[in-house]
Amino acid sequence: MTSLQTPPSALANGRRGASRFSPAGGGPAWLRPARFGLPAFWLILCAIILLPCACFLVLCLSPRLFDQGSQWFTLTYLRQSLTGSTAVAIVNSLWVSAAAAVMGLLIGFPVAWLAARTTMPGRRLVSGGMWLALLLPSWLPATGWERLVQQDGVMYRVGLDWPWMTHLIMGPFGVVLLLGLRCVPFSYLAISAALNGLGQEFEDAARVHGASRWQALRLIVPILAPALMSALAIGFAESISDFGVAATLAYNSNFSLATYALYAAIGNFPPSFPLAAGMSWLLVLAVSVPLFLQARALRGRSYAILSGRTRQAVRRRLSRLESVLAGTGVALFFLIMLGIPGFGAVSGSLLGDYGSSFSLTWVNYQALFQQSGLIGPLERSMVYGLITATATVFLGFIAARLLSQRRRTASTGAMDFLLLASVALPGVVFGAGYIFAFNLPIMSTLHIDLYQTVQLLVIAYVASSLPTNARVLVGSVSQLQPSLRDAARAHGAGAVVGWARGVLPVVSRPLLMAWLYTFCGVFLELPLSQLLYAPGSPPAAISIEDNLSNYHFGVGMAQSVLAVFIAFAVVGIVLGAYRLFAPAGWRRIGGTVRG
Amino acid sequence: MAEPISVVSLTKTYPGASVPALKSVSLDVAPGTFLVLLGPSGSGKTTLLRCLAGIERIDTGSLSIGPRVVADGRSHVPPEQRDLSMVFQDYALWPHMTALDNVAFALRRRRLSRAECRAQAAVMLSRVGLAEFARRYPNELSGGQQQRVALARALIADTGLILCDEPLSNLDADLRERMRVEISSLVREAGATTVYITHDQAEAFALADHIGVLEEGVLVQSGSPEDVYNHPATPFVARFTGLSGELPVRVAAHGSDGTLELSADGVADGSVRLPALRPAGTPGRAARPATEADAPGSGLKPGEDALLAIRPTGVSLLHSAEEAPHLTGRVADVAFRGRGYEYAIDVPGLGRLTGVFARHRADRGDGVGLRLDPEGCHLFPADQKPAGSDTPVPALTA
Repeated sequence: MTSLQTPPSALANGRRGASRFSPAGGGPAWLRPARFGLPAFWLILCAIILLPCACFLVLCLSPRLFDQGSQWFTLTYLRQSLTGSTAVAIVNSLWVSAAAAVMGLLIGFPVAWLAARTTMPGRRLVSGGMWLALLLPSWLPATGWERLVQQDGVMYRVGLDWPWMTHLIMGPFGVVLLLGLRCVPFSYLAISAALNGLGQEFEDAARVHGASRWQALRLIVPILAPALMSALAIGFAESISDFGVAATLAYNSNFSLATYALYAAIGNFPPSFPLAAGMSWLLVLAVSVPLFLQARALRGRSYAILSGRTRQAVRRRLSRLESVLAGTGVALFFLIMLGIPGFGAVSGSLLGDYGSSFSLTWVNYQALFQQSGLIGPLERSMVYGLITATATVFLGFIAARLLSQRRRTASTGAMDFLLLASVALPGVVFGAGYIFAFNLPIMSTLHIDLYQTVQLLVIAYVASSLPTNARVLVGSVSQLQPSLRDAARAHGAGAVVGWARGVLPVVSRPLLMAWLYTFCGVFLELPLSQLLYAPGSPPAAISIEDNLSNYHFGVGMAQSVLAVFIAFAVVGIVLGAYRLFAPAGWRRIGGTVRG
Repeated sequence: MAEPISVVSLTKTYPGASVPALKSVSLDVAPGTFLVLLGPSGSGKTTLLRCLAGIERIDTGSLSIGPRVVADGRSHVPPEQRDLSMVFQDYALWPHMTALDNVAFALRRRRLSRAECRAQAAVMLSRVGLAEFARRYPNELSGGQQQRVALARALIADTGLILCDEPLSNLDADLRERMRVEISSLVREAGATTVYITHDQAEAFALADHIGVLEEGVLVQSGSPEDVYNHPATPFVARFTGLSGELPVRVAAHGSDGTLELSADGVADGSVRLPALRPAGTPGRAARPATEADAPGSGLKPGEDALLAIRPTGVSLLHSAEEAPHLTGRVADVAFRGRGYEYAIDVPGLGRLTGVFARHRADRGDGVGLRLDPEGCHLFPADQKPAGSDTPVPALTA
């Protein structure tokens, strides 16, 4: 007869046994990766994010702590950053960013609606155009516009003597226009995602219960409120932390913005790190408040409208006139966002630096390959981009794994907060923090002599890209079922093979996209490069900016055009290779499968 | 006031689709009827419901609600002007509105004051047992509570037609049964004509005054639940409303007493003799002779192949050798069901019968005898055309 009773001790032993010989085991417990992996990862986060930024921000309140003044605690620098020219810069940044965010929403919402819910011609191209705009750093269109409208620019060379246009673009309006256009892709992506999840039922339910088409639309707009708030918050945060427009168009228009004022506080002689830190506090606060409010609003109004049974929305068939109007409007938007600066950049690269005629020449492109020091920065930035993207995606994946664990510990909670807070850190604050922290005497004492080296620049690139990467990847990684890897291992695969066969295919596409996004971001990155590049080894953005500011417009524009070409070539090659060589099953996951 | 519905030769093809979703569907529904449209996924039942609601446009045919033609090939009355209400599969409760506001919304068309709308909505919510949840948002309600809010929203406007799009499909089994009873009683109290769609035959039989069965866009049968169950028009209807199994047989002979002698290759002596077997689809209580002219199987002649569809109620497991078995088989599986046992029986050469109930226990591998009850057996010609073939579809009345 079989006994069904099992003594408790046997169960306990069984559990211990299972623990000792679990599939994940492979040696003494204290040696397992899970045991030392988390502290090691924390060490990396502290070294590259927490300490540099924290030291810099604390400096504002306690300069004595870092031998930068006599007070242990003071609010002087915070007050100082709220007076005079820095106050003007901050006020400018605030209103310009608010206006840009609203403009991004006002354009992004209708474009997203037209692309997602109507039969507008060319709607399939909209998403690609938005991603294209997203991959370009903000200073590139800014320089394109500048080259177009500035005195002796392309506009004057083709015979359009429009000084009013020069004044309009080279001023607050131009800054708002460029930053606003920069916000559109963010608005578009946030609202598109919400529209895709919205389904048709809410509209149908309204109409079935007596609402007209217009009333139904009014009814469902509040359902999109979280996405609209996200679009506004992200737009504001992106605009206020932007350095590309601040250092180019705004600077050349004598319109001071906070990020450039912060840079100037460090770059001018004598540098004032405490003042820069004070401005950093204000910037971080200005970015954090809307992001925090948005996160809170999202928590409170989590509508969870996407379900497996969501009925795909029916596209509204536009009349011929409506199609023409919608298509023309969206085309006009892309023309202003990409076409005009693109034309400015390309035509600027084909004109000589001096003279007033519109005679095209290849001389600038010839110069790129003949003169020393013009191609080198592009090659250098490409290498930086490759290294940074690879390292960031690796670390970002680890962070995403840790953050997506079901068991929330104090450690993962703190990591979540650190990475979320770091997203709100403008690049220029990161750079200033790095200059300050790695210049401290204690670094020499510890033999960490990284200041003004390529290594520090690459570490800073990784540190500034990591928070965004981790946040982006956590969405995909949190969908990974632990059983995927367990199933592979239970069926005989080792740890590495189990991961490669059971897990990697599922996250390959998000990893690839994160890699490409990071590569493009770093390849043409400006604020960190401006603050941290090693003397004699300027990255692409610095070389281009140097050429433009030294009136070598043609060569600078030719470098810009070539850089954009290289960036998109890399994107094309990587995506093409993935399409050609990745197994079919990998490509299906996360892709758009049309039934 | 309950509205009659008339659907005449309704055809609908979605843009880009090669096959019509609805093929010449005709249907008349009397006022106050609770009609259940039953069919598998892709059969067109949701499309028909959405055409009734005005959410989808029809291609050809016409659709009337009450005296008014609401859609034909040229005109289309928008949903908000059809004066109907609907319970959606996912409930479609507006997430930014409280339960009270969701319900009150449906009264806006009655041009009542806001206060009046809310007062009536509160009364309706208390009728569905949610008075204390009126101020909650949909995401603060359980699935069953959301379902009740959706039901209250559909009932409050007192429309003549209520449409229900698989409203119970997202609920667990226990809650589904409770909500089914609530829907049945509340909707009948309202007195409206109701069109309810489901793919669950048990739910359909429990709710319906009339059932319409859809297959590949064709309304293949319509009638009372008893008619559809007892006289399935096609093998598909029989299959979809619950079969123990299907056996390929051949008509051996017509007996003088109205019986049909069937032969089957797998049967021990090559033949099985079934008394007074009714050809499928024949209305009527018990045995009808195989020569009944209006039934799908009525034309069966000796030597022709046929399909014997057996309901779970049409087969029983013999306990002893007192009765001669119609079929013999072997127990493939047995499941204890509390009040008895449910068997899967392999009949050599013919296939497997499932859901065969008996009070006594037999073990896996045991040889058993089976007795068929003609009340639960339906005979179809083996080559009966499926729905969607060129056969004209007659108008059906519910």
